[in-house]
Amino acid sequence: MPFFKDRNCYLKNYNLSLTDKIKGFNYKLLFLVCLAVFISIGTLYSAANGEWHRWADKQFIRFLLSLGALVFASMINLRLWMKYAYVIYGGSFLLLIGVMVFGHVGMGAQRWLNLGFMNLQPSELMKIALVLALARYFHGTTLSEIRSIRGIIPPVLMMVCPVALILEQPDLGTGLMLVFCSAAIFFLVGVQIWKFALVGLAGVVSVPILWTFLHDYQKKRVLTFLNPENDPLGSGYHIMQSKITLGSGGLFGKGFIQSTQSRLEFIPEKQTDFIFTLIAEEFGFLGATALILLFFIIILYCFYVGMISNNYFGKILATGLGINFALYVFINIGMVTGLLPVVGVPLPLVSYGGTAMLTLFFGFGLVQSVYINKEMVIGRNGSIDDE
Amino acid sequence: MSAPWKYEKDRVFIKRLIVLLLVFFLLIIVLITRVFYLQILQGDRYRLLADKNRTSVRLTLPSRGNIFDRNGVKLAENKKNFQAVLIKEEALNVQKSLENFEKIIVLDEDEKARIQKEIKRKRPYMAIRIKDGLSFEEAAKLHLNAPDLTGIQIEEDLIRHYPLKDVNAHLIGYVSLMNDKDLEENPDDPLADLPGYRIGRTGLENSFEEVLKGIPGFKKKEVNAYGRSVRVLEEAVSQKGESLNLTIDSRLQEVALTALGKESGSAIVMDVNTGEILAMVSSPSYDTNIFTMPVPVKVWRSLIDNEKRPLQNKALTGTYSPGSIFKLVVALAGLEHKIIHPNKKVYCGGKVTIGNHDFHCWKRSGHGMVDLEQALMHSCDVYFYELAQQIGAEKITNMAKRLGFGVPVNIGIKGEREGLVPTPEWKKKRFKDDWRTGDTVNLSIGQGFLGTTPMQLVYMTAQIANGGKKIKPHVIKGEGVDTPASLGFKKEHLNLIKRGMNKVVNHEKGTAYRSRINVNGEKMAGKTASTQVRRITKKEREKGIIKQEDLPWKYRDHGMFAAFAPVQNPRFAIVVMIEHGGGGSSSAAPVAAKILTETLKLYPKNN
Repeated sequence: MPFFKDRNCYLKNYNLSLTDKIKGFNYKLLFLVCLAVFISIGTLYSAANGEWHRWADKQFIRFLLSLGALVFASMINLRLWMKYAYVIYGGSFLLLIGVMVFGHVGMGAQRWLNLGFMNLQPSELMKIALVLALARYFHGTTLSEIRSIRGIIPPVLMMVCPVALILEQPDLGTGLMLVFCSAAIFFLVGVQIWKFALVGLAGVVSVPILWTFLHDYQKKRVLTFLNPENDPLGSGYHIMQSKITLGSGGLFGKGFIQSTQSRLEFIPEKQTDFIFTLIAEEFGFLGATALILLFFIIILYCFYVGMISNNYFGKILATGLGINFALYVFINIGMVTGLLPVVGVPLPLVSYGGTAMLTLFFGFGLVQSVYINKEMVIGRNGSIDDE
Repeated sequence: MSAPWKYEKDRVFIKRLIVLLLVFFLLIIVLITRVFYLQILQGDRYRLLADKNRTSVRLTLPSRGNIFDRNGVKLAENKKNFQAVLIKEEALNVQKSLENFEKIIVLDEDEKARIQKEIKRKRPYMAIRIKDGLSFEEAAKLHLNAPDLTGIQIEEDLIRHYPLKDVNAHLIGYVSLMNDKDLEENPDDPLADLPGYRIGRTGLENSFEEVLKGIPGFKKKEVNAYGRSVRVLEEAVSQKGESLNLTIDSRLQEVALTALGKESGSAIVMDVNTGEILAMVSSPSYDTNIFTMPVPVKVWRSLIDNEKRPLQNKALTGTYSPGSIFKLVVALAGLEHKIIHPNKKVYCGGKVTIGNHDFHCWKRSGHGMVDLEQALMHSCDVYFYELAQQIGAEKITNMAKRLGFGVPVNIGIKGEREGLVPTPEWKKKRFKDDWRTGDTVNLSIGQGFLGTTPMQLVYMTAQIANGGKKIKPHVIKGEGVDTPASLGFKKEHLNLIKRGMNKVVNHEKGTAYRSRINVNGEKMAGKTASTQVRRITKKEREKGIIKQEDLPWKYRDHGMFAAFAPVQNPRFAIVVMIEHGGGGSSSAAPVAAKILTETLKLYPKNN
């Protein structure tokens, strides 16, 4: 039973003043997140061979915009987020359908929606919307409901529908991230282990069937992942060069803007998905490890916020967003180090790209909101009356 | 206030969150371990790969060493060459540029096909050779039309040139461009991909490739993933190949080639005391300059289809029965083993019957009683038939080997043939048959299985002429031996043979009397040979042998003549071989006489 500093937390109209909110802000987490972005901007400056106007300046403007989104998300009452969780989810889902119809085809996949001033990737929005929706759903369910078959069907559908659309785009990376993120949330809320085992078993059995649904380039990527040296000039080239870039960094690295591999364009997506190799090449094992630890501390912070939240919606929201962030880290670094197939997942906060940063900052804004409202108690349906 | 469902739910959440945290922690450890493995454990390997990635070494062609004759006349040099190359990435429209190029300079179909192939194969920044050997005027014309020829550049480089054209064709050989087969065989030769890289194919150009080709320079450049160079890291200029100084006298080469005329044959002149080869020609010859550019199919076919085989170096790779010239070897073997006595006479009645087989002398009526000198002078076959049986095959073949037959003379040019000295063991192995007396008899007049090259014959002649000194024949200056070892023959035996050879030329009944020479009192001595290339049947012999002139060219006898001059204190040995020339005395001896006359004139006594 947590000790509540604020006795008003039980009130239906519990509302913090703007000053309280600013005071309650977790500045340490904000600092860590911004630190990651500064590393990103420095790395992009280096990736452009000491050139501001290629990527770094744009990334900085996006950072400012994203910071706005973070503050905005954190200042909104957590109750309001819960109230509109399904609406946001529904909206994101409609955008996903929209992308199928009007989407912009880029890199052989239909992922963007051109809004005029920016390209929107609804699948990125869905990463947050799904966590919001699941948090809202599990907030209102009892443990026995969660453990019943009937109770688990709605959240599974919440996950499966957008995943199906995203795989259709096709975007294997984002699809897998949504599945893993949801699975982790299901685990946290108490879904029995045997159900995971059952689904896992079914998954293994259906691999040959799923294989036939994969696009040729996806099949190739998986095969290449299994044996990259087999085809060093074809699709194995990326993985080989990625490992060379990383490995050649050694303990201390080649130094800032001293990269040879990235500068000479052996890494084709050095500013986006493969940016970790550039950092590892220039700052060596020490730099790479420091960055990984920074990511881990950010993950820990999200979990900490979830842990201390007094309401279940906030718990699931903060940890869910932390899991989402962690998945970015694991998949991206696993991919560039050759542990996982190349599925096109960026390094969070560091890779060049607008939507991912914006949504991540938005997510951290939500985590801040959970933190600010950590003492708020929310009833099953969003009020304290109906308990 | 709070309902019980909440506590249980929170408890499960906290428990599971801790489990998840542990899993994430493990995953972080996995990532760090993986990075550790790649950067620390495998770091050296990847650093090496990264370096290999980023640098590219481009070689620059060295210029080939020159070849000079003994008097410093250039036999092979490098000439300025204008070539048009195409760099794809600099062309607005590759095919359009080529079309415009063809309006100025005609390309044949083969060349067009090759260019299209290279356009597909080579990277966009690499030069593709369009046309070599452009004249200055053509190059200037292309310069004027440069705006229509985007991507096409005129490059100036050096090309092999043989000023004397066909005079030294077989000796010097030629260089030519790399073909598809070469590229397949030398996938790692970094020079192979450079336009204008030529390698020696035949003769000295081929045998001394490593000496002549020089050391390529290089530019070590940093390149990006597309192979485009970013900056030069290191540079070294190429070094010209070493020159070759030959023992050859190009004036004699010309004399020899002219003397051979249209005949198919070869001639070699050797200094008997030093082993220096002054001339070595093979006829018919060809202009080696044609090979530095791609050879038109028509020209190639005409060389290949010619029955006189102009591309073959007959002096080194033609293997023939030595015929009567081999009698010198038999005579020396007989003398050394004390079977032939100089004054001993043998009766020649025109033929000898061994078993149930008749062996004829070339003179049907016979020579009567002949001693060694006379036998050599008349080239009497019966004399040698009789003596060979007494000497035996083994002693003859041993003598042949001692004089250098059966192995390449090894003058420094690759591809020399070794000929064949038949022995009973060899015959057993080759034909599963015993050595018979008939074989020895055939051997005694240089017929049968015996195979010799003109180079081996001149080597033997020189060693008899120089009084039995084992010299080392060579074409590169300074490769001889200073004090040749003795072969161990008795002077008087050699002198006896030389006297016989003298009579062949200078006695009015000698077989080469008509070709005798006299240059300021210096004369030559020699031995003729006519070898059959087909068997004369008994029937034909009875009907009367057909005259050589009436036979088709390829059935005529080979004519050969081995000689030295002057008779006293010999300085030069010569062998002239004329394929299907008829007889040695009528075809080869006059040619040798012409060449030796010039040699003696060019190199008079006491000089």
